[in-house]
Amino acid sequence: MDDNLENINLGEFLLWALRLRWRFQVTGNSMLPLLQPGDEVLVNPRAYQYILPCPGDIVVAQHPSRPGLRMIKRVVSITDNKTYILKGDNPLESADSRTFGPVTAEQILGRVTSRFS
Amino acid sequence: MIRKVTSKIKNYFPAPEVEAHCDGPCGVYDPASARIAAEAALSMTKKILALEPPAGGDAAAMAAYQNTMSRYISIKEEQTHIAKTELLVLWTDYFKPQHLEAYPDLHDTFWKAAKLCSAVKVGVSLENATALMEAIENIHNIFWGTKGREVAYYTAS
Repeated sequence: MDDNLENINLGEFLLWALRLRWRFQVTGNSMLPLLQPGDEVLVNPRAYQYILPCPGDIVVAQHPSRPGLRMIKRVVSITDNKTYILKGDNPLESADSRTFGPVTAEQILGRVTSRFS
Repeated sequence: MIRKVTSKIKNYFPAPEVEAHCDGPCGVYDPASARIAAEAALSMTKKILALEPPAGGDAAAMAAYQNTMSRYISIKEEQTHIAKTELLVLWTDYFKPQHLEAYPDLHDTFWKAAKLCSAVKVGVSLENATALMEAIENIHNIFWGTKGREVAYYTAS
């Protein structure tokens, strides 16, 4: 699970410049130790156009009950009815699917592809 | 090369935020808020028990006594309710299954503390009000234990 997140490379940078990657800044501690508050990441909003999220993927998702709140979490499993269980890497400081339940595919906004650093 | 460019971009144009937490809008929890309310309830319990009714038929003194007593009761009702709410929020929002593994009697602790809030609210019992403070001290220790931090318990009075 603790796979490293790649640092940005030229390809990712160009994709971002072409607006095929979104940039986000992380707040909060729930993705420690991988992501510190203030770290920036790039997200591929089309990652799941043709394939489904996989357990282990780090994703940006829309909170199911709080409009406008985007979260960065890891997919831990897929339920039988095609919803996704998300969890922070740091379970002691993370509210995730244990509190807000599973999220739907539409609520997953994209996959984190690299660290913008 | 890219890193130089990206670090400049980061500094000048910070990206929109994405939450790696969302316990609440703020995620700030502290049993101190329950402790302050319970402490106020304890203080009111003591004041109610200590308040002497006026002797004789002095109507003004009686009115003042009734007024003071009503205020003590009202504050005790209000503060015990706040203490209970604060405890329930902590219990249901902050604590997670992992914490239960480390503190198996967590549910019982909170359930009894919430019951004590009700008992302090309904009655005038120094014993219950003191027991509530002890229960909150215990919760304080559990709470900071889950965060791996040593935070000394204290009271305002």
